[in-house]
Amino acid sequence: MIGFASPWILAALVTLPALWLLLRLLPPAPQQVRFPALRLLLGLTPRRDSATRTPWWLLALRLLLLTLVILGAAGPSLHPHPLGQGATPLLLVIDDSWAAARDWGPRRQALLDEVADAARRQRPLLLLTTARPQDGTTIAVQGPLSSAAMQARIAALEPKPWPTDRAAALQAVTALSHDTVTEVIWVADGLDNPAQDGRKLAAALQALGGGVTVRQGQAGRSLRLLNEGGGEQAALAVSSLALPLPQRLAVRGLDDSGQVLAREDAQIPAGQTHTEITLRLPVELRNRLARLDIEDEQSAAATLLLDESWKRRIVGLVDEDGSTTPLLAPLYYVDRALAPHAELNRGDIPTLLDRRPDALILADHVLNDSESVALRDWVQAGGALIRFAGPRTAAAIPAGGRLDPLMPVALRPGGRSLGGAMSWTAPQGLADFPADTPLSDLKAAADVKIMSQVLAEPAPDLNDKVWAQLADGTPLITADRRGRGWVVLVHVTANASWSNLPLSGLFPDMLRRLVALGAGGRPASGALAAGEVLDGFGLRHPAGGIVQSLPPSPAERHVGPETPPGLYGPEGGRVAFNLGPLLPPLQALTLPAGIQSQPLERSNSPRDLSGPAFAIALILLLADLVVAARLRGAALAGLALLAGLSGQARAEDDFARQAALSTRLAFVHTGDGFVDGKARSGLTALSKVVAERSTARLDAPMAVNLERDPILFFPIVYWPLSSEQKPLSAAAIDKLNAYMRGGGLLVLDTGAQKAGADSSDFAHLTEGLAIPPLTSVSAEHVLTRSFYLLKQLPGRWDGAVWVVGNNGGDDRDGVSPVVVGANDWAGAWATDAQGRPSFPCVPGGERQRELAWRFGVNLVMYALTGNYKADQVHLPAILERLGQ
Amino acid sequence: MIPPRVLAQAQDLAARLPPLLVAAERVAASLAGGTHGRRRAGPGETFWQYRRAQPGDSAAAIDWRRSARGNGLYLRETEWSATQGFWLWCDASASMDWRSTPDLPEKRNRALLLNLALAALLLRLGERVAVLGPGDAPSSGPGSLPRLAEQMASPWGDGVPHPLRPPRQGEVVLVSDFLMPPERIAQDVATLAAQGNGGHLIQVLDPAEETLPYSGRVRFVDTEDETELLARRAEDWRADYARRLAEHRDALTAIATAHGWSFATHRTDHPPQLALLALQARLAMPRSRRPT
Repeated sequence: MIGFASPWILAALVTLPALWLLLRLLPPAPQQVRFPALRLLLGLTPRRDSATRTPWWLLALRLLLLTLVILGAAGPSLHPHPLGQGATPLLLVIDDSWAAARDWGPRRQALLDEVADAARRQRPLLLLTTARPQDGTTIAVQGPLSSAAMQARIAALEPKPWPTDRAAALQAVTALSHDTVTEVIWVADGLDNPAQDGRKLAAALQALGGGVTVRQGQAGRSLRLLNEGGGEQAALAVSSLALPLPQRLAVRGLDDSGQVLAREDAQIPAGQTHTEITLRLPVELRNRLARLDIEDEQSAAATLLLDESWKRRIVGLVDEDGSTTPLLAPLYYVDRALAPHAELNRGDIPTLLDRRPDALILADHVLNDSESVALRDWVQAGGALIRFAGPRTAAAIPAGGRLDPLMPVALRPGGRSLGGAMSWTAPQGLADFPADTPLSDLKAAADVKIMSQVLAEPAPDLNDKVWAQLADGTPLITADRRGRGWVVLVHVTANASWSNLPLSGLFPDMLRRLVALGAGGRPASGALAAGEVLDGFGLRHPAGGIVQSLPPSPAERHVGPETPPGLYGPEGGRVAFNLGPLLPPLQALTLPAGIQSQPLERSNSPRDLSGPAFAIALILLLADLVVAARLRGAALAGLALLAGLSGQARAEDDFARQAALSTRLAFVHTGDGFVDGKARSGLTALSKVVAERSTARLDAPMAVNLERDPILFFPIVYWPLSSEQKPLSAAAIDKLNAYMRGGGLLVLDTGAQKAGADSSDFAHLTEGLAIPPLTSVSAEHVLTRSFYLLKQLPGRWDGAVWVVGNNGGDDRDGVSPVVVGANDWAGAWATDAQGRPSFPCVPGGERQRELAWRFGVNLVMYALTGNYKADQVHLPAILERLGQ
Repeated sequence: MIPPRVLAQAQDLAARLPPLLVAAERVAASLAGGTHGRRRAGPGETFWQYRRAQPGDSAAAIDWRRSARGNGLYLRETEWSATQGFWLWCDASASMDWRSTPDLPEKRNRALLLNLALAALLLRLGERVAVLGPGDAPSSGPGSLPRLAEQMASPWGDGVPHPLRPPRQGEVVLVSDFLMPPERIAQDVATLAAQGNGGHLIQVLDPAEETLPYSGRVRFVDTEDETELLARRAEDWRADYARRLAEHRDALTAIATAHGWSFATHRTDHPPQLALLALQARLAMPRSRRPT
């Protein structure tokens, strides 16, 4: 079961006994201990002083370790292929059609495994792909190739969004030399065409003489739209090969950004090849649909692109006077009924026709000659012209009854009115809708009453044209086909003056069905340039390469490298060209006798065991290190090796947690022990003072290393500039700038007066900090008022303090992000453990220290409350104003 | 340089102990006036007793107010008060700079702490304290503590120093690990005792020095002279070592007892209060009744 790539390395196993002896002889290195009471030990002779041997388990561990290393180096593998066969060429036939995209990963892996296997036996490799290549070249056998080149080709190989061309593959195979025996491995997509070219190809491969192994995975499924270009719901059909088990799948509808709008589960029953699914979704969402696909199946045939014909209808409302009086305007109810479902345009007829509407609605509009001509062409091309009657129409009916050619029926002059004060008749209700019309699925509403209407002139063909009628059989809606379009007349007005039909719930349903009649009237003119095309996985890419434009007539369209599936046509007028509808019914590949068929995954594929062997050896080595370190009394070093990185990350987390869980001051760790100690002690004392004198509770201050630690948690970062500090890195400068931008307060204390040092000594430290122009703190500045009213802001010394001037109108509400001074405040605040001040204050003595503390409290308040206390500056003015 | 932390710790430790009343016996030797009531009449400020005037008493010594209330003449006697001199020493040799695990204090730190706490305690009572070595006369007052700490931390040669002005008639407290040969210790103690000093030896040891907790192959290196000793199985040495240590301690006890001194041990993993309380108890007891 286990074989070795280089068995001769196993000879090294003979060194194991030698190692065993060596380990037995050499005791472990002694632990070194410094011991003051050594004098008491000297001269002692213990009764039993046997040398400590290496423990047996350690010996076993080390021997096992070495054995594993030797075994790993020998390249063990599970289920190795027998090496006996000669170097016969191996032909890999790959179906890289759409149907292979569904499980392309396993297919590719199976191929790579075969190549690796062949490489071990140093066989020449040949490659044949059966779908037409992307660049339009013909199908041909490539090779012989080296295994590395083959691996590269297979890695680069992708499924194509078109079917295989087995006939061409057959030609390529027959052209192959039959002089040498060639073994064939065919990774097939499992489909065949009606001409059974696949079976013929298999036979031809068999004729090569080396045996044929067919590896099959899952064949792809195809998705088709049943109601192309119309309908309320998307009715879909999924085709697949018949399988002995039911297949569960889900179909999704997505919008342009890839968001799933609708999803429907379905099942193809066992042994069936087909199922139909209706994707239900609201009209508003339906218009956003851009793509339908089968969930978890990435292939060109499982993807349907939707074009504009799928989208909402464009409807023109002919409205010449632009009247918008609600409730009375002729088109008010039409507008309300259609607005959710269609894109409505208003205007006169020529303007509307320019926008290529699917339907036009005319309310009591009498056409003149030029309009008639224009509309006739449009209706012939597929437009739906929907007309409402009205007083003007009724008045214009000539004696012959033919108002204009765009009326579905001849009308009788005068019309009739039902009910009313001067009439014996009652208003008429609706009869049931006649069968076999677009409206026949509607239910007649009982509350609809018609008071007036225009009457159709009786004619032999009148009955065929009636889509709706009154209870007494008078036509209410008549329609007539003209070319590819329709003309429809509603015999009442579009507003509520002749009937209450526009007020009923029937009206919107009726109108939507009528509007859906229009097929756009947008004939495809000429070839469509390629916009975006699909790849084999059903992903959209910009068209390129040899992709040509799509012929206008659907009959001339063939899917292939020249015209892959995708979206064609100009922007705004895209036409979807999908693979699914073009495919013939799927047919399974049947193989001639004598050909092995195998699944893609081979259970007993050779598995390289050297990796696990080395991994275990490494673990044992680490264990040995730890043990050895323990024996030498330096366990920590060994463990530190293991803890390494995780410890680092944990330290950072700890810092952040500690800093974030309570409010605390921070100071910059300068590396100068004296300065750092002073800053820590000063801020500790200040935190205590702030807690005593205000409600702010500050936890113990923390030192931050600007290079390493995050500082965004702290309200104040106190930076005692020290000449011993190294210049900051760019990252640390960025961090400080971000901190100041984000509302932090940076206190820079040069403490420079102490040694008369020039503060320019520290310029290199703060270089790169984004500090706006500074001004000295004025008497009105918030810093002097935020808690105590202060005149000076002294520390150990009493000098000027600088803040950012408030003239920028910046985004910080006038709160200075930085306070600069040379007063050594931390020195003034610092106390020892007993609470005694550590440093004298000059020249003011203890009074000055008190002021320094007060300044510290003000500073903390300033950092915590921002410009909140700025109002206090205006208090006198406010009081004065209140008094008036 | 002594760490300021140790000084603060010592003051803290001393503050938590009950006041120490040092028993003093060698009254005649204590020349400087001080604060100790000697339980007998003598120069001092505290009232001691009235006593009938006897022939030979100075007329100026008669307490006329008391005499006016009775028939005889009375003298007012005050209690004789005097101070005691204390000389403290803390071993600063390399062997003291050692601890077996990082959790424990170094022996030297612990010794300093004990000494300083004792000094703080004594100074608070008005006793006069000096560090054995530099030869300064004992001083009193709480202000002396930092100076004592400073002197104590700087090493004065190897072993017990023999200053030019050796202490006389005082109490000597020696804190060390006393791992040097007993003969040397005996010599030092004899020298000091010859001057009439009482004394206390406190041996500060790390727990590892008592138990020898090592096992397996161990190479022991001396902290002072880098002598090496390879133990092939350190656990085999343990019993013998314990015996050796006990012998060494017996020798030290014998030396102390011979001069009327006391000997105590302290382990760094025990709280320093224990040692200090024991020491306080010994100091509060008249020297003649001290157990050893």
